[in-house]
Amino acid sequence: MSDTQQFLLDYDRNKREASQVAQKSATRLADGDLKLLTLIEELGEYFNSEDGAIRAKAMAYLAEVLGFVPQKVLSLQQRNLLCDFVLSRTEDSEGIGSCAKALLTLEERGKWDSGKVQDIMETLLANTSPLRQYKQQSERYPLLRLIDALLAKYRDALRTLHDSKPDFLSRFIAYFDGEKDPRNLMVVFSILRVPMTEWNIGADAQDLFDAVFNYFPITFRPPPDDPYGITAQDLKDRLRECISSTSDFAPYAFPTLLDKLDSTSMNTKRDVLQTITTSVREYGPRTVSLYSITLWDALKFEILNVQEEDLAEESLEGLAAIAQTLSKGTSGPLNAYLRPIIKECNEHLEDAPTKQSQAAARILSKLANVSPHVTNLLLAGILPTMLTLFQAADSMGKRRGLLEVLVQLIKANTDVYGDWRSTGSAGAAPPNNALVEFRDQALEVMLHGLETSPINNVSYRLVCVDGLVQLSKVRQLLSEEDIAKVIQLLHAIIIHEESFGKDEVKESAIKSLVEIAHQKPQVVVDKAFPAFMSQLPDKDDGSRGYETVLEAFAKLASEEKVFDTVILRLKNKFSAAVTSDASSGYIVALLSAMLYALTKGSSKLEQDPNTSTYYQDIVLPLLKRISSTDSSHPKTFDEETTLDLVGRISNIVIRSQSTEQQEGITSELYTLFRGTPQAGLPPFNISAPSDAHKTMIVSTHLLASLHKETRLPCEIELLVSSLANYTQHPDLSMRVRSASLRQLSLAINKFYSTTALKTCMDPLMNAPFELFSSEKLDPPRIRVIFSCLKGILLRSSPILAKLYPHLLDFLSHPKYGSAIAHGFSTLLQPDDLLTKQNHCQISGLHKQKTFALLVPNITQAFREASPETKPNYLIALAGVLRWIPFDMIIEEVPTLITLLLQSLDLKGEDFVKEAAIGTLTSTLLEKPEVVQEHAGSLISRLLATSVANKEAPTPPRVRAAACRCLMLVPEKLKLEVVLPYRRQVCRKLTAALDDGKREVRSAAVRCRAKWLEVDEAGDDD
Amino acid sequence: MDADKQNANPTILSLSDLPSRRRESNVRRRDDGGTGLFDDLIPQYSYLNDPFEQPLSSSDSDDGSVEDIDEQEVFDLISSISDPEHPLSLGSLAVVNLPDIHILPPSSPYSSISTVVVEITPTITHCSLATVIGLGVRVRLEQALPPRFRVDVRIKKGTHSTDEAVNKQLGDKERVAAALENGTLMGVLRKMLSTCE
Repeated sequence: MSDTQQFLLDYDRNKREASQVAQKSATRLADGDLKLLTLIEELGEYFNSEDGAIRAKAMAYLAEVLGFVPQKVLSLQQRNLLCDFVLSRTEDSEGIGSCAKALLTLEERGKWDSGKVQDIMETLLANTSPLRQYKQQSERYPLLRLIDALLAKYRDALRTLHDSKPDFLSRFIAYFDGEKDPRNLMVVFSILRVPMTEWNIGADAQDLFDAVFNYFPITFRPPPDDPYGITAQDLKDRLRECISSTSDFAPYAFPTLLDKLDSTSMNTKRDVLQTITTSVREYGPRTVSLYSITLWDALKFEILNVQEEDLAEESLEGLAAIAQTLSKGTSGPLNAYLRPIIKECNEHLEDAPTKQSQAAARILSKLANVSPHVTNLLLAGILPTMLTLFQAADSMGKRRGLLEVLVQLIKANTDVYGDWRSTGSAGAAPPNNALVEFRDQALEVMLHGLETSPINNVSYRLVCVDGLVQLSKVRQLLSEEDIAKVIQLLHAIIIHEESFGKDEVKESAIKSLVEIAHQKPQVVVDKAFPAFMSQLPDKDDGSRGYETVLEAFAKLASEEKVFDTVILRLKNKFSAAVTSDASSGYIVALLSAMLYALTKGSSKLEQDPNTSTYYQDIVLPLLKRISSTDSSHPKTFDEETTLDLVGRISNIVIRSQSTEQQEGITSELYTLFRGTPQAGLPPFNISAPSDAHKTMIVSTHLLASLHKETRLPCEIELLVSSLANYTQHPDLSMRVRSASLRQLSLAINKFYSTTALKTCMDPLMNAPFELFSSEKLDPPRIRVIFSCLKGILLRSSPILAKLYPHLLDFLSHPKYGSAIAHGFSTLLQPDDLLTKQNHCQISGLHKQKTFALLVPNITQAFREASPETKPNYLIALAGVLRWIPFDMIIEEVPTLITLLLQSLDLKGEDFVKEAAIGTLTSTLLEKPEVVQEHAGSLISRLLATSVANKEAPTPPRVRAAACRCLMLVPEKLKLEVVLPYRRQVCRKLTAALDDGKREVRSAAVRCRAKWLEVDEAGDDD
Repeated sequence: MDADKQNANPTILSLSDLPSRRRESNVRRRDDGGTGLFDDLIPQYSYLNDPFEQPLSSSDSDDGSVEDIDEQEVFDLISSISDPEHPLSLGSLAVVNLPDIHILPPSSPYSSISTVVVEITPTITHCSLATVIGLGVRVRLEQALPPRFRVDVRIKKGTHSTDEAVNKQLGDKERVAAALENGTLMGVLRKMLSTCE
């Protein structure tokens, strides 16, 4: 049997085998075993068959063979002959797809000349038009691919064809008429885009436009699991490119598009608006000028009467695009476009503040962003009217409405002209700013408004503050004197104004001052700082009026440019206060302000640790004051809170120093410049004089600031064992004890090497200490256990696998089981000293590690535990889960769910309940199917928790959390699961509606509203 | 689209001008005039990091004091209802106003029934949607207040051309119940209430 026969046989049976046959023939052809002529002759018989199917298969065979023939096997002459032959076969409508494929493969094997290309094109149009006569998408698609390839590679040839034959284009357009398949349409759109953009389409413009616009709007929805992956968006994008491709379409495009804008379908409108915007950008200023006003009249409705927010946004985009395009042309059309806009917006402003005046503001600010020219035209058109309206306004509400528009325009002006520190979209040398003409009036209006309106006019004054800041920001607009006026008004509000309501104006004034400091730091330092300083006495008179001033002043430190000055002034004020023997409260407030300022600027400290002189200027003097006995030691330095502040200030400065710089302080870590030997002081000497213990708080913060490479003043083993002993001393105050325990965590976390860490607990576990001995267990030892573990677990050390079991065993300890259980929540609790900034070693996986080592064991032991100790396990579980992100727990939730539900039955363990509700809430949000089967017990327990109950009181926070969790139930669980509980829930929740606390009531209202909807949703089904 | 809106261009109040609980003077004023900016510099929890110190913070909203349901709370319940015509809240359109809400205590010492009276102000005097708005407010309050409250919603005198007729409708229990059986009307109400917080 010949290859041809074999192929024809296989073709219907097994496409792959047929392909293999074709490949074999191709190899023989390449090797010279088969003559091309023989092949064609052999095929001749089938091409002449009466049966169309056989002719089609024969063509398919030829196309496949040619496809497998390697490059350069066929000579130019052979290719030409084949090409003519295949082309002649297009008269036969059978196998047309294969013809196209054959021609495509021939093209790939050698370029055609223009004559050939034109010939092919004409033959295709003569023999295969219109395309829709072929019912199979697979027949049409190769033809489209072929034409697409011709247009891609032989543009000039086809263009010449178009230029020489006047009717060519209309035949070409008609060829694609009626195509419906999305895959084909993608190609059709890209084919038609070539004549649209490159040819002179003249009289055919409308036909060409209709050929694509017939498909508008695209409503195609791809079938589920569509193998071709063409989305409606792909089609929309291509279609939009076609419509916007040439300004010749404008006379057809805009009227029809605007017509479709009246559609009731939001999707169509969205499409129309996007197409308008794209077209306006592409059509060029001359064309757009003809339609600009028509478009404005249509688009404005979408903004003045918002239906959908995104449609309004898109319309604004369109209006801006028009202005943008017109800006590229002469100024006449732009003026003509803006004139009606200005007129209409002015009209809307007359009855501000209304919905439409707000819309007018949106339009104006969007347009003002386009270019300096547009901004200037708008300002000149709007501001005179606005300012007149403002003067004549009879209500504060109206004035506020007008100023809001002004502020928007100023913001747009900043975008275009830039602020003091950076240039705007108009570049470094923009044309004149029309705002200059109005600045004095605008400044005057807002300064006056802010100064004279009564303080209960909050919203009006807020707009004034906002406007003044915006005005001060505009590049090269206000003089420094004018900015100084603004600053003066702002600090007057901060310092002198009496407090009102939520103090929104004061807060906004402070924020604004920071913002201006970013733009004009020196003016703020010169004008505002003296005013602040004059409010801060060297020696206070007992009143605490300085507090507000200090807070505002400290906030200024968040602006990098004035940070140094703020710190310097605070430091000087502090020294002056100490010298003049000011009250402790005042000194503490100054230290607090300093700490706050340093925290805000800590990023700046970290950037240049070497140049900072804060260690010499601030830290050393502070530390020396602690141990000094003369007048430089203020009384308040004997108080633990003050020492904590001093410690934290030192910490922030020292932690950004290098290891070498830190060596300077380590030797004084515990001695703190007292001049006495370290061995006589805590933690090495428990019986040190009582006032020496307090400074352990400072030492803790200093230790926290050290790099782990910095050398300690003693061996780490000695330090750890001294601390472990020291913290058990019964006379320590709570703060000192807590600080010392944290030192223990810090020391273990930072200063043991990874290998040493594995055995670091041995000295404490062995005799005589025996930390994990059940008999010796007591509160001080429990504290030591948890502090040590906290330092270790952050490093995810393998030793945890040996240490945690001891802890788990203690959960059943008859006396201290409950205390141990409560301790579990301290393990993963975030700590402000054990942090990366403090150079602690924190493994990214420490939470997973602890979770994996503890939680499965807790659930296991819970099942076997005696009834009296069961609560301990629930408490411990809640303590661990509380700090673990939910996505880490999610896999384990099914095993935890019953435990969580039982936690809700515990009496008096509010934190446990709250944590359980938190986890249940997350479960409902992320993995509701797990809760499904427990719906009944979940709902009844949440209901019980949400209602205030005299016998087992739960705090309002927990009751509200229960309501919020219950609210998720109908949303997340299946209707049929929830529906049976609806009546019960709605009835019982009326009790929560009458809760004594507002927080609970409001959560209950929301929850109940959700449950009431349950059956309404059911009605719809 | 626009013609069927009865008032296409209503006046809008700024949100910061609406009455709210936070702005009232019952915000705890610090005696030193500060805002507590420095209070958190030394974190509270670091000294609770101890299994033997039971956390105290559960006492922050301790049950001792009772916060009664007051006019502001009623206002908060209904001001976030959407207007059926605009995507704006009844509060920002000044349809419901704090001074027009009154809670009347029980009429006799033996009764526990209080009454909430809400007077609404339509944006224009001939607004035919006033009834729907009134109904929305009524439904919302009946769902959100405990059963010891009676709800009385009416149109403020002189703000509507047919206020008495509307009030009669809103006061008639049976007509209200009948209206709630109407699917289309419930649809509108559900949409109005969907923005409630």
